[in-house]
Amino acid sequence: MRKKILIVDDSNTVLLMEKMILGKHPFDIVVAHNGAEAVVKAAQELPDAILMDVMMPQMNGLDACLEIKRAASTAHIPIILVTTRGESANIEQGYTNGCADYVTKPINAPELIAKLQNVLAAAVAEPSVS
Amino acid sequence: MTDRHRRYIDQITRESSEYLQQLLAENDRLRSIIGELETEKTRAEASLREALSEMRVRESSEDSLRRRLEQTELESRAFADRYLQIEQQNANLANLYVASYQLHVTFDRQAVLGVIKEIVINLIGSEELAIYELSPDRRELLMIDSFGLDAATMIRLPVGLGLIGDVARSGEMFVVPSRQDMAAGEKVTAAIPLKVDGHIVGVLAIFRLLPQKDSLQPLDFELFDLLAAHAATALFCTAAFEQAKLRGDAA
Repeated sequence: MRKKILIVDDSNTVLLMEKMILGKHPFDIVVAHNGAEAVVKAAQELPDAILMDVMMPQMNGLDACLEIKRAASTAHIPIILVTTRGESANIEQGYTNGCADYVTKPINAPELIAKLQNVLAAAVAEPSVS
Repeated sequence: MTDRHRRYIDQITRESSEYLQQLLAENDRLRSIIGELETEKTRAEASLREALSEMRVRESSEDSLRRRLEQTELESRAFADRYLQIEQQNANLANLYVASYQLHVTFDRQAVLGVIKEIVINLIGSEELAIYELSPDRRELLMIDSFGLDAATMIRLPVGLGLIGDVARSGEMFVVPSRQDMAAGEKVTAAIPLKVDGHIVGVLAIFRLLPQKDSLQPLDFELFDLLAAHAATALFCTAAFEQAKLRGDAA
């Protein structure tokens, strides 16, 4: 069954890269270019998972993650943060804000796919109450 | 011999004869039983031999199946490894495609510089870089963009002096493959000569890699080669497009 993935990044290079990585798998891709747009798209599209950059204009990935987790309609959507620096403070903040996992740049394609499949499988195993 | 004695002897003789008859009959019965047991034993031995033979066949078949299973598991692991390798190769090709595509998607100079930075940050993994162009007299490198650096001291670099200036003179790429290989005090991971049609037009300097990246991978060297040619061409094209616009040749 095809899954809908929302990818969020302000860099077109990264978005194209992620589209190419995910495009070989049964995923439908939806794109947002910053955190604010991601919050809106998450509510509109109700994707099965979100792949979100941390450093973005308007609203960064950590704040967007918090917003998405606060909204009842989108709280169940697993979020994977894509961070340039794998520093513990950044990652801890991500987990505090509700992310399910994280990957660091440069993105390793097999690692990204494995983590995405893990969070999708976990989401199926623990369906949301809403 | 009295009659009494004779009768006694007759009785003994008759009883002995009857007893003998009984013994003979019992002997026949026992012989028959022995015969049956012999037959049964022969049949049991045959069954045992058959069972042993079947067991050996099964053991042999089981060994063969076990060997085939082990072989299949080995092949399966080899296929999984190969699949991962192909996935990685695909990802590498995707990286190269993305880099090449993005560099040539626009004639806007700032956009091309942005793409070069995005490639270095997101595909190579460094947040410290500087892009230089040769001055018109080809004596200096002039910084046209940078990211994550205190750029003030590095805005102008003389050609032929220092690591970056030397790359501008020689046209040879400078690369430190891993953090451990870096000399004390040195911060340049790679200095890539930007060339158009074999002529050096600038240098892309990449400083420290991201903390999670200890060393450069084969893909990074491919990206360096791609940047050396395509970044320079893309920047050259933006300049040519600007000139054409000024002349009114382009919209």
